[in-house]
Amino acid sequence: MTNSSFEFAEMHWLMDVLQSIDVGLVILDRDYKIQLWNGFMENHSGLRPDEVHDKPLFESFHDIPETWFRQKAEPVFELKTRTFTIWEQRPYLFKFKNYRPITGRASTMYQNSSIIPLESIDGSVKHICLIIYDVTDIAVNQEDLTKANGHLAYLSQTDSLTELFNRGFWEEEFQREHKRCIRSQNPSCLVMFDIDHFKNVNDTYGHQAGDEVIRTLSSIVRQTARETDICGRYGGEEFAILLVDTDAAAATHFTERLRKKVAALTVNTDEHEINFTISSGIAEFSPNFKKHTQWIEATDKALYHAKENGRNKTTVFQNK
Amino acid sequence: MGAYAMTSMINEEQRDCYQEITNVAMGQAADRLARLLNVYVILPIPKVNMISASELHMALADTTVNEDVSAVCQGFIGSGIAGEALLVFNDASFSDLAQLMNYKGPLDRHGELELLMDVSSVLIGACLHGIGEQLEISFNQGHPVVLGQHCHVDDLVKSGNHQWSQTLAIEIHYEIENVNINCDLLLLFTEDSVAKINQQVDYLLD
Repeated sequence: MTNSSFEFAEMHWLMDVLQSIDVGLVILDRDYKIQLWNGFMENHSGLRPDEVHDKPLFESFHDIPETWFRQKAEPVFELKTRTFTIWEQRPYLFKFKNYRPITGRASTMYQNSSIIPLESIDGSVKHICLIIYDVTDIAVNQEDLTKANGHLAYLSQTDSLTELFNRGFWEEEFQREHKRCIRSQNPSCLVMFDIDHFKNVNDTYGHQAGDEVIRTLSSIVRQTARETDICGRYGGEEFAILLVDTDAAAATHFTERLRKKVAALTVNTDEHEINFTISSGIAEFSPNFKKHTQWIEATDKALYHAKENGRNKTTVFQNK
Repeated sequence: MGAYAMTSMINEEQRDCYQEITNVAMGQAADRLARLLNVYVILPIPKVNMISASELHMALADTTVNEDVSAVCQGFIGSGIAGEALLVFNDASFSDLAQLMNYKGPLDRHGELELLMDVSSVLIGACLHGIGEQLEISFNQGHPVVLGQHCHVDDLVKSGNHQWSQTLAIEIHYEIENVNINCDLLLLFTEDSVAKINQQVDYLLD
């Protein structure tokens, strides 16, 4: 249907609709000069149509990266296909304020856009139409959801007192690393340690003080461990750290450093000054550990040995 | 969707016609890609089938072998014919794709999203345009939605509570000569669209 077949009244209505529809409409020519600028664009940008008419888009709106936009728009001219951008790519093309400036939580309007070809009478595409949709609510909700899921994942994996991995998640991660060790045969070491005479700490100073000791210890663990190491609270006062790509000698060095740091430390509670020590067991991965539990057992044996031999010690599991 | 939709099954003649229409559309799409990227696109014969919701998962699983994928889908509608286009990329394709598309930025998650959007715009747009032209339908396209990045193909389409039981699926596997790019385009038409398309196709066959 050509324009001429519209009754004048219909034309007038259509123009009115385009002008007041709550969607941005911009027509660009081959040189990206603005040819049409509807009411939505005028009101959100504060620029009247006569102020932007025949001005190159990129000159008036510096927020739109020229190469990026051309990459989306050129196929529309060349191939007569529609192209699209979504807010996940760029939050907005035009930096407009949030449509709900008072109750909205985003400062700028998130936008999706479509770029559609406008055919001339001879069938070639000399103009394109850029359509701007306000998707702020969708984007904000999506981001909230992603954040909430991330937080839920964190909660389900983390021990709240120590902020280390909880037992369940630590063991999942440990199992995965165990499988990787079997494949790669790289040296990795499991370290398990616990606080010496922790029951006495609790009995003497109370559970609040006991919690403070555990909290302090775990913060030292976090400072001492590397990012790749997998640290978890294994039981009440027992901790487990998998030192990835680390042999027994390096693991001993790490564990001794940790042990000395702890021994030199005083935890100050409101009323007391508490000193405490830890004992550690280390077991390097061996192909004999067909199951991950065998590796844990070996480490536990080494820890038991350290306890038996006077505590405040590190023992390495000897594979006989 | 009621049981009446079963009458919308396709016969052999119609299937051939669908294949032919898709072939022509793909040819056009490939030609556009070739012009845009200077590459030769290898086109196999598209598969045309009526599939059930559970078979959709199998059809998707066929597209990749145990590798992570990224996918975009886009709804379309016109003249009573509606459906979705699904473009599934093998994640291993991205570095070659970046080179092909002359993408200079870092190839992180965001960079891959750019590529995903650019390629799907061209491929889906060209294919739909080609099909629409032959059926004399001008489709409206919704906004593309990223179904997932770096995920398992099973997670792309959530199973259960589908609004449909059967869909007409046209499956197109794109390969590009000399580069490691594999992608599948699935055009899925709703059950109640099939009768309409058949009408159009029969009209073309006459």
